[in-house]
Amino acid sequence: MANQQAALDDVFYALADPTRRSIVNTLGQGPASVSALAAPFPMALPSFMKHLSVLERSGLVRSSKQGRVRTCELQPRVLTQAERWMARQRAVWEARTDRMAALAERLHQEDPRHDR
Amino acid sequence: MTAESNDLVISRLVRAPRAAVWRAWTDPVLLKEWWCPKPWATEVRAFDLRPGGDFHTFMSGPDGGTSDNPGCFLEVVPQSRIAFTSLLTGGWRPATPWMAFSAVVTMADEGEGTRYVATVMHPDLATRDRHEELGFFDGWNTCIDQLESFAAGLGR
Repeated sequence: MANQQAALDDVFYALADPTRRSIVNTLGQGPASVSALAAPFPMALPSFMKHLSVLERSGLVRSSKQGRVRTCELQPRVLTQAERWMARQRAVWEARTDRMAALAERLHQEDPRHDR
Repeated sequence: MTAESNDLVISRLVRAPRAAVWRAWTDPVLLKEWWCPKPWATEVRAFDLRPGGDFHTFMSGPDGGTSDNPGCFLEVVPQSRIAFTSLLTGGWRPATPWMAFSAVVTMADEGEGTRYVATVMHPDLATRDRHEELGFFDGWNTCIDQLESFAAGLGR
């Protein structure tokens, strides 16, 4: 169970970044080479590889090397019932926290003096 | 922590000082603005901000669904820390909630802003099946469905 939750946290962490979500979206259309995946992003290859390794650690993406070409593939992953339950709790609290933060930031903008 | 597999830790850097975060949390008029997502509405039935004080929210949805959540504050440290639980109600009276949890939220200065951390602890997954029945999470399922779609490679 602890492992399941840790694995789920890895998935959430992996998907919390726009670059990685974009990679996942692209791979949703089929396997792709690392160089093809990296091409649209204005970042150095080592930075891109870090994103890729986060995705691989989460289990969402698997890669294999043939000759000089490394190909990435999305891994279908079905959440267990326990994972779904915890994912829902997390969704509730993540969204609740976002709304609270947005309100606090609005309060601060409206009256920066009073909340010091 | 022993039951960490059932714990959630949510962390945010809020671009506002602690006083603003504290106000958003501890003014019931403000709390009901963010406690649940629209079109659900929150009614704050009790908000007695002291250890042992009632903390009772009642949420209602557009389709007539409701979620009644009595609880109790456990610890209140101004602009720093709030702990509360569904396992007790005001005056430390034991309760049998439909979902058992304790939560601790902390606020600390970080740069110009505030580091806000909410830790939500669930005792086990035994209560989750009752939880499923309520259908309270319908509005949030989209998020999970998207996660699963991403994960399954069936997403956009």
